[in-house]
Amino acid sequence: MASPHPSDNALPIADHGGGWTQAALTANDLGKRYGSHWALLSANLAFFPGEVHILFGENGAGKSTLISMLAGAAQPTQGTLSIDKFSGYFRSVNEAREHGVWAVFQEFSLVPNLSVADNIVLGDEALNCCGLLDKVAARAEARALIERLGFDLDEKAVVGDLPRGKQQMVEICKAVRAVPRVLILDEPTASLSTHDTAALFDLLRRMKAQGTAIIYITHRMEEIAQLGDVITVLRDGEVIAKVAASIDEPQLIELMSGRKLSDLYPVPPPVTGDVRFEISRVSTVDGLLEDVSLSVRAGEILGVGGLVGCGKSELGQACFGLLPHSSGQIRLDGRILGFRHPADAIAAGVWYSPPDRKHDGLAMVRPARENMLMSAMDFGKLRGMFVKPRAAAAQTDWQASRVDFPVGRASESVANFSGGNQQKIMLAKSLCQEIAVYIFDEPTVGVDVGARQAIYRYLHELASVGSAIVLISSDLSELLGVAHRIAVMRGGRIASEFIRPDFDQHKILEQFFE
Amino acid sequence: MSTKSSQIAVSLQQFPAARPRNGFRWLTQHQHQLVLPGLFLVALLIFAIAAPDFFSADNQLNVSRQSVYLMLVSLAQLIVLVGGGIDLSVGTIMALSSVVAAMTMNGIYQEGAGSAAWAMAVGTAVALLVGAVVGLINGIGTALLRIPSFMMTLGISSVVFGVALFLSAGVPVYGVPQEFGQMFGYGYLLGIPTPVLIVVLVILMVYILLEWTRFGRHMYAIGGNPRAATLSGVRTERVTILAFVLSGTLSALSGVLLTARLGTGESSIGTTFPLESIAACVIAGAALTGGRGRTFAIVAGTFLIVVVQNGMNLMQIGSYAQTMAVGALLIFAMIFAKK
Repeated sequence: MASPHPSDNALPIADHGGGWTQAALTANDLGKRYGSHWALLSANLAFFPGEVHILFGENGAGKSTLISMLAGAAQPTQGTLSIDKFSGYFRSVNEAREHGVWAVFQEFSLVPNLSVADNIVLGDEALNCCGLLDKVAARAEARALIERLGFDLDEKAVVGDLPRGKQQMVEICKAVRAVPRVLILDEPTASLSTHDTAALFDLLRRMKAQGTAIIYITHRMEEIAQLGDVITVLRDGEVIAKVAASIDEPQLIELMSGRKLSDLYPVPPPVTGDVRFEISRVSTVDGLLEDVSLSVRAGEILGVGGLVGCGKSELGQACFGLLPHSSGQIRLDGRILGFRHPADAIAAGVWYSPPDRKHDGLAMVRPARENMLMSAMDFGKLRGMFVKPRAAAAQTDWQASRVDFPVGRASESVANFSGGNQQKIMLAKSLCQEIAVYIFDEPTVGVDVGARQAIYRYLHELASVGSAIVLISSDLSELLGVAHRIAVMRGGRIASEFIRPDFDQHKILEQFFE
Repeated sequence: MSTKSSQIAVSLQQFPAARPRNGFRWLTQHQHQLVLPGLFLVALLIFAIAAPDFFSADNQLNVSRQSVYLMLVSLAQLIVLVGGGIDLSVGTIMALSSVVAAMTMNGIYQEGAGSAAWAMAVGTAVALLVGAVVGLINGIGTALLRIPSFMMTLGISSVVFGVALFLSAGVPVYGVPQEFGQMFGYGYLLGIPTPVLIVVLVILMVYILLEWTRFGRHMYAIGGNPRAATLSGVRTERVTILAFVLSGTLSALSGVLLTARLGTGESSIGTTFPLESIAACVIAGAALTGGRGRTFAIVAGTFLIVVVQNGMNLMQIGSYAQTMAVGALLIFAMIFAKK
């Protein structure tokens, strides 16, 4: 394949796909330090046109830091980037874009109160003959782009009203419209539906064929197999290995975590208890839940699966009183529950862990310790008018050790931590008081394998002392690995239930779709 | 972990050239913490040259006296800011409390219904209560009716100002017992000016409240992420309302002490206090988005503003120029604020 951007300076050259090709973008000795901590240590990487380059590693391994610098969102402490004749670093996202480097981060850069079309053309709007905005042309262009990409997206919709997955696609449309030379995607499929994921992969294959260099972060093995050409494995801020995407999974996990993947999913402890938590015939006014009945025994982990919008998240909210139900009952140890405020739910022994850490879960500017103790002064042994510094410190140390969180860093702001450690803070928050029922909504989104192992172990620990656990997840393999029983939801109803010895991935997946 | 630190050490040796630039990067990363000391240093240097009287013991006493009123209001503002709100009604609460205190004292003392001490006690209590009630209204509007605190307190500020003007007919309210000024305006207790003593107590109370109580923890949590606080079982509505009640009460206390100083109830006081109190908090590192701000830093921020005003007085710079300076200072501090 001939290089679409020939230049004569000394960029890395590699034999790739049957020809000598020049790197589209190279990182030379790139490093970034936050405070005293090196998030990335001297990375030397080359990204080639027509190649999907997977960045693989645990949370906090340096992937996000690396792409932030490639995309101009962060500036390196050392080292340079080279693209064509440019050598140096990008001072802003706009500077990176001028060089053809576009990134779709997990944090979106969309204007929530503008329409999809307005967002797609934002910053490069078509004008009519009078110099005013040509809204018709903008809409038509957006429509054409969405159709070309095969996305399921309405260009007239207001972005703020769309679910996360659709917003992600708007962001991708925006990047693709600019015809980037280097496209960076950070876990783009985390909240996409199956249809949209397929459309995205089609798009990426086409872009690849046209010579775009694609840098792709994912934790999902099947995506690597489908898309990847090469994999760079990062661990603790260092490039550990560069391997071909054909590498087998256990080997890759071992490279990433530095340990063997013998037991990502520990064997669930046996269930011994009676029914603790019972939902009977629960419906909501707007039909998000219809006639849902479930029961969870002490020590049991009930997995709830289904597609985006099937009502599984709403089920979790209803259990915690966030979504009022119009009919039916929710019972804990035989008592009927009804909450007017989350405080009532926690006092009754029900805990809810929301799926969106940043918006619903954590105060990012506050220290990890304070976040862990957010409910401690109302419930449990630290309750009272005044802060008890010694007891509080002992409590957070214990909480941190329970969830395998780095105790020494507990006084740092939550914003400093990787997704995995942030999720551990979320889990630790529930340890301040006696809890009978835990509802976890997507506890491992954006969490690496190492942290996931710790989280699963923790779930089993909670179950083994007699709590009832509802685990809501979009990751079927996680449900298969961790849950004692799986309930599949579809259209606000329970479609079917499976019990552990009879787990059959294909049968369960069939129930996701009608 | 030990292998990691040795790797870091190796990498530092590999890039000796990066060292000097890191000093500059450290500066840019910590600039928000350096604003306050930096501005203090500049102000003191200027006054050392242009107004040497500034450092006299008499003047220092003056500064501490002058800072009393803004200090109380800045602390009030801090309590609300920490929770992610803003209170623009602090100034007119001062005005209303001043008018109400003077009218009550006048009613009791001058009409012969009670002794000076009784008049002072009732007048102060009524004024503080009025401040608390205005705060309660602010809190209810913000927490229960979900009106952004900016709009709620801006609107209430106008309402309260109107009430103060209506009650006083826009003229000073006389009839405050002389003892009030002698004790709480100019008086000393234990060798310390009484208002300063009161403020020191309030500073300690606010410090304990914000850093060492459940209320404080909940305020920081709400300011950090209100959704997370609610889902963790924090009764955000109650806590927010309490914050506004405290803010209103402290602003009223400031109004009462200023009334003692002036000897009359004035509906015109307090107009500059919303801006100055927000400036004091922001210069000292409080975030307008909530979740950040420490009591003693805000004390220092207030001192900076008062010191600048005092120094400019000594340099015989007029009050118009001082008004400009405070606004400019606020904007200057915002350049370096942690964003």
